[in-house]
Formats: sequence, structure tokens, C-alpha cells
Amino acid sequence: MADTKEFVAVVDSNAKKSPRRIVFITRRTSAQVKTETEDQVQTFPEVLFRAAIAIQVLTIVLVWTSLIFNAPLEGLADPSHTPNPAKAPWYFLGLQEMLHYFPPVVAGVLAPGLVVMALIVIPYFKVNIEAEGFFTKDRERRLRIFYAVAAVLVVFLGTFHVIVAMVPTLIMAGLMLLASQSSAQSPSAFRRYLAAKPLSYWVMTWFLLELMVLTAIGTFFRGPGWSWVLPWKAY
Amino acid sequence: MAKTADQYFDDLRETRVWRSIFRSGTGASTLKRALAIQQNVFLHLFSTKVRTRMLSFSATWYLGTLTLGTFFILVATGIPLMLYYHPSVPQAYYDTKDLQFVVSSGLFLRNLHRWSAHAMVFLVFAHMFKVFYRGAYRTPREFNWVIGVILLLITLLLSYTGYLLPWDQLAYWAITVGSNIASAVPLIGNKIHFLLLGGNSVNANALLRFYVLHCMILPLTAIFFVAIHFWRIRKDGGLYAQSSEPAVLRSRPVASEKEAQ
Amino acid sequence: MKHWATSLWQKLFGDSVRAFGVVSIVFLFSIAIAPAKNHFSEWRHYQHGYLKMIRNRSDANTLQRHFDGGIQQIWLPEIGVVDRCTSCHVGMKEGTLRDVSSQPYRPHPVIPHKLDQFGCTMCHRGQGAATTVAEAHNSTLAWEQPILPAKYIESSCGECHRGSLPGTPVLNQGRKLLSRYGCVNCHLVRLPDGTTIKATDAPPSLSHIADKTPREWIYAWLKDPQAYAATSSMPNFQLSDADARDISAFLIANSTPLAGDTATLSAKPSSDPAAGASLYGESFCASCHAVTNAAGNVVGGDVGPELTRVGSKVKPEWLHAWLQNPRRYDPGTGMPHYRFNDREVATLSTFLLGKTDSDLLSNVHLDPATPEQIAHGKRLVSDYGCASCHEIAGIKKPENFAPELSRIGSKSITQLIFLPGMSHTLPDYIAGKIKQPRAFSPALRMPQYSFTTSQIDAVTTALLALNDRSTSLPPSLTVPAAAESNYQPAGKAGKLMADLACFSCHRINGRGGDMAPDLTWEGSSVQREWLVQFFKNPGTLRPALIRRMPRFNVSDSEANELADYILTVYQNPIIDRDFVPPGDDSQGEIELGRQLFYGKYSCQGCHIVETKTDKGYIGPTLTHVGSRLTAAWLYQWMKNPQALRPGTIEPNRAMSDEDARALTAFLVSQKGVAPKEVEKK
Repeated sequence: MADTKEFVAVVDSNAKKSPRRIVFITRRTSAQVKTETEDQVQTFPEVLFRAAIAIQVLTIVLVWTSLIFNAPLEGLADPSHTPNPAKAPWYFLGLQEMLHYFPPVVAGVLAPGLVVMALIVIPYFKVNIEAEGFFTKDRERRLRIFYAVAAVLVVFLGTFHVIVAMVPTLIMAGLMLLASQSSAQSPSAFRRYLAAKPLSYWVMTWFLLELMVLTAIGTFFRGPGWSWVLPWKAY
Repeated sequence: MAKTADQYFDDLRETRVWRSIFRSGTGASTLKRALAIQQNVFLHLFSTKVRTRMLSFSATWYLGTLTLGTFFILVATGIPLMLYYHPSVPQAYYDTKDLQFVVSSGLFLRNLHRWSAHAMVFLVFAHMFKVFYRGAYRTPREFNWVIGVILLLITLLLSYTGYLLPWDQLAYWAITVGSNIASAVPLIGNKIHFLLLGGNSVNANALLRFYVLHCMILPLTAIFFVAIHFWRIRKDGGLYAQSSEPAVLRSRPVASEKEAQ
Repeated sequence: MKHWATSLWQKLFGDSVRAFGVVSIVFLFSIAIAPAKNHFSEWRHYQHGYLKMIRNRSDANTLQRHFDGGIQQIWLPEIGVVDRCTSCHVGMKEGTLRDVSSQPYRPHPVIPHKLDQFGCTMCHRGQGAATTVAEAHNSTLAWEQPILPAKYIESSCGECHRGSLPGTPVLNQGRKLLSRYGCVNCHLVRLPDGTTIKATDAPPSLSHIADKTPREWIYAWLKDPQAYAATSSMPNFQLSDADARDISAFLIANSTPLAGDTATLSAKPSSDPAAGASLYGESFCASCHAVTNAAGNVVGGDVGPELTRVGSKVKPEWLHAWLQNPRRYDPGTGMPHYRFNDREVATLSTFLLGKTDSDLLSNVHLDPATPEQIAHGKRLVSDYGCASCHEIAGIKKPENFAPELSRIGSKSITQLIFLPGMSHTLPDYIAGKIKQPRAFSPALRMPQYSFTTSQIDAVTTALLALNDRSTSLPPSLTVPAAAESNYQPAGKAGKLMADLACFSCHRINGRGGDMAPDLTWEGSSVQREWLVQFFKNPGTLRPALIRRMPRFNVSDSEANELADYILTVYQNPIIDRDFVPPGDDSQGEIELGRQLFYGKYSCQGCHIVETKTDKGYIGPTLTHVGSRLTAAWLYQWMKNPQALRPGTIEPNRAMSDEDARALTAFLVSQKGVAPKEVEKK
């Protein structure tokens, strides 16, 4: 839809009386407006009421949760008694789990820093803006790159004995292999789905899976001395 | 019966007081409804119309709305909690104990604040992934995505700073473990660590710092960015819908699209 | 049915406004019932129950007036007490509720302290700030000191009261056991006042052990000290046969002879077979030494070692030398130096050596020790910290051999490792550790004591009192213990008193044992003539006691020396030394005194003046009191016995001067016929 309107920069004859104002509307800037033929509804009342309902339902759930479950409170902070294990809040336990394997610079600084950087640059990263399947074009070369990257990742994780992070990596690698063998014409809907997924999808899903696995392990499966425990067994 | 209630409500909306507050006036016309949004300082951040498709639950899972909901709850519970709390050592802990044992509904307030905080972190993550998988970060919404990432970080910081405030063992050691990571930054790590805690270890200075961050700086920053976040949704063409994707995508087999089912 | 459900759904959630309305109702309901969490709190329930309970009582009005609803608290900032216990324990101070036995309404038993001044958690522990049953009483993540079980409650008294109290027998016993069983030889216990607990078990030096006992006995003793003497304070180290063999080999090899610690006698023992036993009895050996009789009962004192099987332990030559003068072998021993002649020594040692147990050593056959065994034995002696208690030549007393226990009562549960099935509380941990130390790990070196359950509870009680709060209490709240002085009498008499080990039984100026009377003011109280006679031949002062002053066979010069010293030095300043005693001729006053004695004051309930009629056995016999005590002392004693001997059970009758004088006159006239009569016998 490259129906950008043409604007003409008009120069006023008397620049001192009225300031010169030049407007540039280029492609894909914020002020881009596209014609829509789709059905629309008024925000008021349709959207607002729905939003209100959503927030109310959420509040109801949280109120009942708070009536039934009490927030944890432990003993007075005591710098001389380190609890074992000393755990960060749950959303940092993925990081803490990584700290168990990698030096702090890697796990604590490099990895989260790179993740935040990656998240920020995602929309500006114009590779494959059309978001077509990763293996639809240039399949051989991309397969080779995929093999190389997957092998490097597995070896890297292997050297640090990060078995827990290797499992999601291998699952994702397997799915990507399956995607490379599929196309839009594949008989199974799942394979057609995989074949249509772009690189960003694969990277993000790998990240999501790692995040969930590491956080879950850090939360439920780690006991004294960051040793492996089962969540249903008291330590 | 319902009609009578409606009539009462209509009468109310015709009163001078009401009209002085809500200028848009009554009526179910599209114009009036659009004005209701446009002329409200809060609601004007949103667009007056939304694609019908985006109302369905599957389109957004209402994750953004729910996140906003948790933020509301957190502000509403956080303010009364501040009334009972001194950010000093060890009074902070005893205040938390008193909240639990003597303050009327203090335990409920604290529970609600804490569970909502956890819910908010979870919902922000979920919101981010949902937006990603919908592809809603694409042009022209890049910057709103970046603001979203900033809001994610602010949410994590809000939760993290709030974690220390009860001053119990859980808080103390979680913050100790977390803040030690900052020391790992090459060259300036220890400086960051010192700046964050106001000392070399988690102590009374750290508590005060975290309190100010948690109750003043971070919430205000969050409100600021949330406002931009909402405003940009409207400015970037409303909630992202699949039809506005480039033509290339729409040529794909429809069967492979979950959203289209 | 399905259609009906669909139409209901339409009705409720058909459009967003309807749905908003319906959800709003649920929402408002949820918000509205949120305060219910507060309303149904446990303390409200218990206050309600209390009001219901008192409604039908006769004292309902009074109780109702005392009742104050809402959360109650005792707040004592200077000792960190915020106790809300009385929110549920409502009737705590209601004496009239004594018939109520169910908690939380039972009133508190009467104690010397006011509840408002001490709160509850000072003594009972638990979480005072909590207002729920579980949080207040149990150990939680936020609070790891649960309610202290009643059997240990005296430990809380000990946090402030550093000395022994009449009301805390368990604590007193526990503290005594810590010293008596040498716990503090290995475990340092620093008290809040900066001093350390001193051991009183007096473990013997092992540097000259070979002269005293055969190696076989050492072996048997090491294997099981209680098999030799049930009352032994030596714990069982649960040594293997080889380890016991090697340690005994080392101790014998390491031992050096000591000049004069063995002796051969010139005299033969008495031919009378009963002479040994009667000498043992006359010397009152049983005051300090116990013997297990045929019925299995331990009879005798616990100051010295049990002698049931002593014949299997000691070598005869050593025993002779020891009985002649124990201070040659052990200068610091608490055993008095009896001036026995050789014949008496021979008689007594023959009697003692006859106390053997053939089973004890029958299975002990030790081959001569090899150098490797001796070296291994030396290593074991170091490993087990034997030198912490015993002096062993060539082995230094280890510093901090075992963990310090100065703050054991505040040990964090997270730092403890519990046995499976054990409840996770500190008292249970301490008791478990005392009961079976090696159960926690076979590698531990702490030995097995043979404590009874009540002894374990007592030691646990004493240890629980050693905690952070006890050390951080403001000085105004602590009641220090009477400090043990290191009083030392001077000069020749001082040496004599050390030789006779007077301090083993008597207390003078804050030092010494509690078996015999305190002699601090003895010089004011007794007459010189009587004292000299008493040294020569101690008579019976208190017929009800089995422990008596033994006869040390002191010479005349020694008796005079001691009497002079006592009469000069041990004078009480409040005694009027110029007190003029009523003369023998003041018959009127004596008769008045007699009437007061038998009438107004009924002294015969505890004392005996007329042997035929009086039946008082609690106090000393007074038949000879006139020749024993000074009139000045008696007079002062009548006026205020507690001023002279704090804690004496003699009641203070607040006598008038006239009554006291008359009674003194009466008592002074009670000269009996002693001591000459006893001497003749």
C-alpha cells in the first residue's frame, strides 16, 4: 500500500511575516495513516466497558487470592545468617540459575544486557521485514548457518555443563530442522505453520523457552547450595 | 425496570453539575461517543474507534489492560501501606509485622499489594511476548515497542525495590543476591553497586534509597511512559491488526494463521 | 436445559453493559467482604468465647468490668517486648478464674513478677507481636523461637538471675551439672558478666597414673567408666578395644613416678576384722565418698570418687601413701589430710582394698605395648581432647576444644542439623545432643554421658539461659550471682586449713563447700575452749545429719593454732564484744528464759534442751549450748538470726531486748556435762 500522498513544500513569499513551515511525510513514520475498510466500533462504550470488565475480573481474582493466601514474611533481616539457598525474586531466578554456570560477567551483565539490547533493536532490524518463513529462500545457505550456530551453541552450553539450557535448545533445533523440511505445501497444518515462521520467531521462542525453563528450575528445583532438589520434598 | 434506571441516569446526565464536568453531552450518536473519548484528559490518549476484530479476547488476551489493572491496584494499595511504614532499620520489619497482626485489614492490603506485584511482572512479560508473536512491534510501532521494553524494565525495578521494603530475611538476601550481580559489570561494577545501595552492603541507606525509588521515582516514571505508550497506540494507527500487514503476508495460506481461525 | 442456560448467559452477559453490571456486582461484593479477613481474626473469636464463658459465673460483673475488648498489648521498649498475648489470654490476671483450666482463659499462676512489667515472651518465648495462635506459639519462617516447653521454663529465670534461686531447682541443678560433669572443660561458657563457668569435677592428673593404677584398670575404665563407678562423672568415649588399649599404653608409658607417692608400712593392720569398717565410719569418709550397697543404692557423698570397687583400681603402695598424706600425690585435692598413724592406714587400706569386683578386670588381657600403639595412643589422647580435663605430661590443654556455648540459647535453627524425626526446635536439639551426641555424626568426639532424663532437661534448661538477650539485658534488670571469692586464710593456720581441706565442706568469706556450716563469723559465735575440744574430738552437733565433722587427729598445737586464728579473724562486727552475759546467779532471768523457751516461743519444736522430753531434731541440740556459744552471739541471734546467717531457717521472732536477754541467760546456763564426758568415753 504505497499510497503515500504527495506534498509540496510551499515557500511563503514573505518569510518574515509568517514562519516557514516545511512538512515531510515519509514512509513508515509515526504519522502514517492508512485507509481502512474494516469494521470499527466506538471506543466508548464498547472498548471501555470491556476493559473495565477485564480489570474487575482481575481484581476479583487478586482479592480472593489475597483473602486466602498470605504474603510471605520471614525473620528480621540478619546479615550474619545467610539462608541456604538465598534466592532472588522469582523473575530473576533465571539469571541466578545462569550465574550458577557462567561467570558473573557473562550471566549477570552480558546476557541480560544483550537480551535488553536485542529486544530494543528487534523492530529496527530490517532483515526479512516481510516476515516470511526462514527456510523459504536461500535454503541451503541458511541451513548451513543454522547447523553452525546450533552446533556452536550446543558446544558452548556443553562446555559449561548447562544441561538444563541445552534441552530447550535441542527442542528448538529439532523444530527448526522440521521447519526446513516443510513448506507451504506440506500436508500437515503444523508443518505449514512451522515453515511460515521467520528467524525472529525462532530466536524469540528459543529465548522464551529458555527463560521459562531456567526460571522454573531456579524457582522449584534448587535447594541448599543451589543443589538439585525436587519441589515436593522438603529440605 | 431497566428503562426507568436508564431514564434516571439520563436525567442525571442532563443536570448542570454533570454537564459542567462532562462537556460531551448525552446521546448515543457516534459524534457524542467520540467526543466522550476525545474530551477526557485521560481517555483522549486512546483512539475514538477500534477495529471490531480487536475486541475479541484472542486478539490481545487483554494483557495490556490487565497490566494497567494491576498498576491501579498497586497504587491503590501502596498508598495506604505507606501510611504504616517507616523506611528505617529495623522499624520497617516491625511495621510489616504490625500490618500483619494489628492494623485493620493490614494483612489483606499487603497480600493484595504483593500478589498484584507478582501478577504485574508476569503480565508485562506475557504482554511483551504476545505483542511479539502478533508482530505488533513492526513499523510504525517500533518506538512504542521500545517504550514497552522500558516499561518492562521499570516494572522489574519497581518489583525489585519493593521486595526489600519488608526488611525480612527473604527481602534482605534476595536484594543482596540481586545487587551483587551489578558488581560484576566490568570496571564500574562496584561503583554501580555502591550507588544502588548507598553503601557496600544492603543496609539502612539501601532501604531508604529503595523506598524513595519504589514510592516516588519509579511510579512517576512508569506513569510518564505509560502515558506515552497509550498515546502512541493511537498515533501509530490503533491496535495492530493483521490486515494492515504488508501484502506479502496476506498471500500466505490462511490455514496456517491461528488468528484467522 | 441448554437453551435455558444460553438465554441466562444472554441475559447476564449479552452485551458489554450488562456484563459490566454483573461483573461489577461480583466485584463490589468481593471488595465488600475483604474486611471479613480482619473480622474473623482469631483473637476476636477468643474474646467472644471469654465473654460467653464468664456470662454465667457469679463474678461475671467484676470480670466484665475488667474486660477490655480489642487487641491488648504489653509494651516494654527498653527490653524489646511487644506482647499481644493478652488479646486472647484475657483472664491472665483474674485470680478468681483459678477453677478454669482450659487455655487461653486460664489465669497465670502467682509468680514474684508482675505481668505488666515483664510481659509474656520474656519467660515463655514465642512471638509476642503475633495475634494468631499458630504465629504466636509455633516456630515459623518469621519466628523461630516457639513457646518454650514448660519443663525448660526456668531457663528464662536464669537470663536475669545469674545465681541460684530457691524457686528454680531445675536451673540450679543444670548449672551445677555443667560444672560438676566438666562440660565447661571443653566448652567455653562465658557468662554475661564476663566470667567463665568453672568446672568443679576436679579430674585427676594423669602424669603419674602408673603409680596409682594398673594398665588393665585404665583400659576397663576407658571402655566404660560407669561399669567401675555408676556415679562417675567421666563420660563414655565409646572407644574401640584397640583405641582403649593404645590410650592405656600411652598413659602408662607417659607416666613418671612421683617422690613419695608410694609407701610401705611399718605397722600391721588391726586384727579386728571390723576395725577397717569402723575407722571408715568414724572418719566420716562417707560424707564425701559413696559406696554402692548390696541393694544397688548409692550411699554417701558425691564430693570424692565412689569407692565401691576401689580395690580393683588402686595399687596398695599408692593407697598407703595417699592415706598418709593425699597432698603429696595431688596438692590440690579436696581430701583432708587425716593424721592417721601407720596402723590406722594399714587398717583402712586393707578395708578399702577389699572392695573389689572380680568381673571388672577378668576379661582384660593386655599384651605389652608396642611403640606404635603408644604413638597411636598419644594421637588419640590429643584427638579426644583428654587434656581438656586431665593434666597429662607432655600434652598441652587444648584451647577451645569444643564449640563455645556462651550463646547457645540463641542459636539459629537454620544453623542446626536435626536428626530425622526430631522436632525442629532448639531445646529438642540441645537435649538430643546431650542425650546421644554421636547420633548426630559418628565422627563427633563428644562423649556419651549417662544422664537421666531429668538431668538432661536440667542441663538443657541451664544452656537455654545462655542467650543473646541474657547478654544484652540492661544491668538494672540483672541479678548477679554471689561471686565465688578466692579467699585464702593467712599464715600457719591458713596452711593448716588447706591441709585439712576445710573448704571442701565449710564456706568462709564466700569460698568453699556447702556441706557444713559457714564459718565466716565462727570466731564470734563459739567459745575457745569448746572449739579446741571440738577439733580434738568433734562431737555431734546435729543428730539428724549423717554427715559430720570427721576427726583429723590434729595435735594440741594445731588445734590451738586453728582456734586462735578463728577466734581472732572470724569476728562479726555487729556482735557486741563487750556484751555482759547474765551471770549464773541471775536465776530469775534464767527461769524467765525457760518459760519463754517452752512457752511463748516453743523452741523445743526444733531444739533439744531436755534429752528426755524434748523431741526437736531440726535445729542443733542445745544441751551444751552454754559451753559452746558465746552469750553475745546468742543474744544477737535471738534478736535477728538472719543478720548473722542470711538464709537460715531459724525464724526471726522479733524479740524484745528483755526476752532475748532472758533466753540468752537460759541458754548460757545449759552447759551440760560436756565436753569432758565425751572425752572420757
